[in-house]
Amino acid sequence: MAFKHVLKLLAAAVVMVACAGGASADDKVVKIGAVFPMTGGAASAGIHAKFALEVALDIVNNAHPELGDFPLAKNAGLAGLGGAKVEVSFADNQGSPATGQNQALRLITEEKVVALTGAYQSGITLTTSAIAEKYGIPYLNGESVAANLTERGFKWFFRVTPIASDFAKIYSEFLADMKATGAKTDSIALVHDNTEYGTSVAGTITQAFKDKGLNVALDVSYAVNATDVQSQVLQLKEKKPDVVIMISYTSDAILYAKTMEALDYKPPMLLADDAGYSDPSFIKAVGKSSQGVFNRSSWSVGAPGSTTAIIADLYKKKSGDEMDDTAARQMQGFFVLCEAIDRAGSTDPAKIQAALQKTDLKPNQLMMGYKGVKFDDKGQNVLASGVIIQLQDGENYVAVWPKANAEKAPVMPYKGWY
Amino acid sequence: MRRWLWPSILLALLIAYPLLLSTPFQQRLGALVLLYAITASAWNIVGGYAGQVSVGHVVFFGCGAYAAMGAYTHFGLSPLVGIPAGIVLAVAIAALIGVPTLRLSGHYFSMATIAVAELVRLIVTNTPYLGAAVGLSGPTVPRNVFDLSFISALPYYYIFLAVLAITLAITWWMTNSRMGFYLRAIRDSERAARSLGAPASRTKLYAFMLSAGLTSVPGALYAVMFGFVDPESGLGILISVKILIMAALGGAGLLFGPLVGAAILVPLEEISNNWLGGSGAGLTFVLYGAIIVLIARFQPGGILTLVNRRWERRREPTTAPQQGAAHAP
Amino acid sequence: MSFVLVQVIAGGLLLGAVYALFSSGLTLVWGMMNIVNFAHGDFVMLGMYVAFMVFTLFGAGPLVGAPLATIILATLGVVVYFGLIRSIMKGPMLAQILGTFGLALLLRYSVFWWFGANFLSLPQNIVGGTYAVLGLRIEASRLLAGVVALLVTLGLHLLLTRTSLGSKMLAVAEDATAAQLMGIRPDTMQAIAWAIAAGATGLAGALIATFFYIVPTVGETLGIVAFVTVSLGGFGSVPGALVAGLLIGVIESLSAYLIGAVYKDIVVYALFLSFLWFRPQGLMGKS
Repeated sequence: MAFKHVLKLLAAAVVMVACAGGASADDKVVKIGAVFPMTGGAASAGIHAKFALEVALDIVNNAHPELGDFPLAKNAGLAGLGGAKVEVSFADNQGSPATGQNQALRLITEEKVVALTGAYQSGITLTTSAIAEKYGIPYLNGESVAANLTERGFKWFFRVTPIASDFAKIYSEFLADMKATGAKTDSIALVHDNTEYGTSVAGTITQAFKDKGLNVALDVSYAVNATDVQSQVLQLKEKKPDVVIMISYTSDAILYAKTMEALDYKPPMLLADDAGYSDPSFIKAVGKSSQGVFNRSSWSVGAPGSTTAIIADLYKKKSGDEMDDTAARQMQGFFVLCEAIDRAGSTDPAKIQAALQKTDLKPNQLMMGYKGVKFDDKGQNVLASGVIIQLQDGENYVAVWPKANAEKAPVMPYKGWY
Repeated sequence: MRRWLWPSILLALLIAYPLLLSTPFQQRLGALVLLYAITASAWNIVGGYAGQVSVGHVVFFGCGAYAAMGAYTHFGLSPLVGIPAGIVLAVAIAALIGVPTLRLSGHYFSMATIAVAELVRLIVTNTPYLGAAVGLSGPTVPRNVFDLSFISALPYYYIFLAVLAITLAITWWMTNSRMGFYLRAIRDSERAARSLGAPASRTKLYAFMLSAGLTSVPGALYAVMFGFVDPESGLGILISVKILIMAALGGAGLLFGPLVGAAILVPLEEISNNWLGGSGAGLTFVLYGAIIVLIARFQPGGILTLVNRRWERRREPTTAPQQGAAHAP
Repeated sequence: MSFVLVQVIAGGLLLGAVYALFSSGLTLVWGMMNIVNFAHGDFVMLGMYVAFMVFTLFGAGPLVGAPLATIILATLGVVVYFGLIRSIMKGPMLAQILGTFGLALLLRYSVFWWFGANFLSLPQNIVGGTYAVLGLRIEASRLLAGVVALLVTLGLHLLLTRTSLGSKMLAVAEDATAAQLMGIRPDTMQAIAWAIAAGATGLAGALIATFFYIVPTVGETLGIVAFVTVSLGGFGSVPGALVAGLLIGVIESLSAYLIGAVYKDIVVYALFLSFLWFRPQGLMGKS
């Protein structure tokens, strides 16, 4: 056997690996690692996350007096660290928990990042944060909603976004209010995929609704990345629920919108759980066929000249797309992280962790519509909240509920494609 | 004992690797290479030596992964318990589907293996007891050394090296046994082998079962190292294809082919991801795909066959190169 | 209740026809050249993007997009044949999987690099809306795809069985050396077969784009459907791919409606396996 040659080939491979050298740490720069899906089926979300973080970097690292008292905007760099700049190292998790973990390890041990953020898909956030926990690196998640992420007893994991139980509460209150104004909400159908996102959110909603006396009459579960959804839409058409709640990623959301139009099915009320329905691709592709769809969001552009409007504008210039809720949540998470580092006045991970635990941001310090940012001992932001938005003209979402945050009144029934 | 000189050097270098290239990432990369090498070597038994190209081997990998995580999640046991449990499960599945599936010829066999793997993945995705789409996790905080939850990749590396050595030893023993002799005959021409009295069906089945059992072990180890398994990472078709192309790239039907293939492809994928992944332009896979295309185009038999052919003078005439490398190491 | 069932079956037939449409090219090369093409789904994807570009640049629909996709993909097919396929054909099946898998990644991520990861779509009613036929709702775009599927199947079948080109191609598939002795050049025939298959696949992609979403990774999903369709129908049998496609479409739709959408693929795979175990050459494959 040509062992000599086996050795030669392995030696070549080893040289390749040896050249995968690391970068060195630099005190004047605060390095943060970001792991997102940059390839694969969820790449759209990952790439928009990158744009969002790059806009945030611009705001933190450069002086932006037009943003007023928004944290870290006024000065260039982090004042608490003598004006040090923040730098983000992006890594691709390729949609795989293993790759995500490997990249997180590389960022921690080679790039010497002081904190991590990411990773969009809950299963990947699970593994990447596990390695951060092992190495004692703070991990801040802005957008993954699986409940188990904050149930592991981790000390280094912090999550800013509202989670499924928060959404369920928002939906039940919204539906109760809509009922009070005359809409029928007696039978509710849940349409969800069978991923960890779809099943966990659907399960949480079903449970919460039961407690509030709302009736989930139909549970339509389908396999993600469907090639065809006609049968599911026909089921809905047959059963005629008053409210249809869609829990889908972008590909399936688009397919459902197209199929509903083809089969001439318009539920009286269509409510979407963010994800696919918030993706700018969805709006561009089938927004005009989905007029009147409700969605939940914690993001709203706000009045012209407001902080959020300026940020939305910066994001549009960078990415070419309107800011969507997911990208906004990621951006907010990043700001929370930078604010904590600034407050810690140090790049020592333990100090950053301590600062994160003491975070107490007020609504006027946020770009999202949360009631604030304060972490409980599980690392979950207990002040996370959301509003209901509606795609009234098929192009832009406007906030419609609760009344205090509404820009326009909700329009019923669902219009669809007229 | 010159026969043992080069293998000993190889072994020595493999043992020394993580001590020489000792950043955590490089060590972990090494462990990953070994993990894939074990899986691809196990596949090699049925895919390379027996010539039955299974594109659904991930189902056996998943047996080990789910058994390991399930042992912890449902019974509070060390994930190591999952290794024998996974082997039993994998061999049982192989026995069950092997009989009707191995009767199929060539591409139909491959399609059937894909169907089996996808079927199992879809069933698991819809089974809450097995974690459904969320998957099963391992211990977040290690309770004892048997939980195999290490921060450093070094222990994993050596455990995997030992398992690889065992897998290759079993493969080597098999190729020099009567079963190996029959398999070579079957791979060259099944009809001729049958006419000469080789128990083809039984031999293929045993090879399939052996391969299945050996494939489940790295599955369990993978789950232990990453602390997590879900239908995509433990039963996804991409894994089947990856181990197959590693064996193909290194040289299927050769003892060290899968190791060479893994040693090239795994670092290639990781390093191109390091350089290009963060940009969001997808270039990682453009590069990766292009290199694979080039290798396939210019060396369809795998890199090791190129190297072998140059080194060896003349052996007994074998059948056409269609069958891949025809020699046992 | 039973009327909805009729709609489900009608939808299933249309869906199945689409499956058959994008699988016919695959069965051609698989049966004739014994090539396992892991990049097949990505050829469909390319056809979809051609249709999208035609619409974006010229505002034209599938009347222009489909023929253009056919020509472009056929040309690409020739390039791929001479660049890669010819070499790996000589190798074992593994080499083909290796090579076409690499090709799939290359195509998929080149498109990703150029177009980005966003989901694209052609306007909803680019072919015409949805017609109410006997109370059933039939999408014009899917109906068009279905009709074209039948035409393509018929066309390929006639090409192979009734034309001299077809018999030459079959001769090469049967025994390349013997064909060469008869004065037929295997290389040319195989390149033609590959080009026809690629063109048919591009055509399929352009038509599917009229009712499906367009994204670089769509090839992964469609590729595996094509594989199942082609093996169920019997490798090499174009009519077999049509029958298999229709069958799979109806089974999928019915199981989604009656049992639940999460189980429909389980039913399809289970039936597929059982079928193969009892009839190892597929519906219409050669024994």
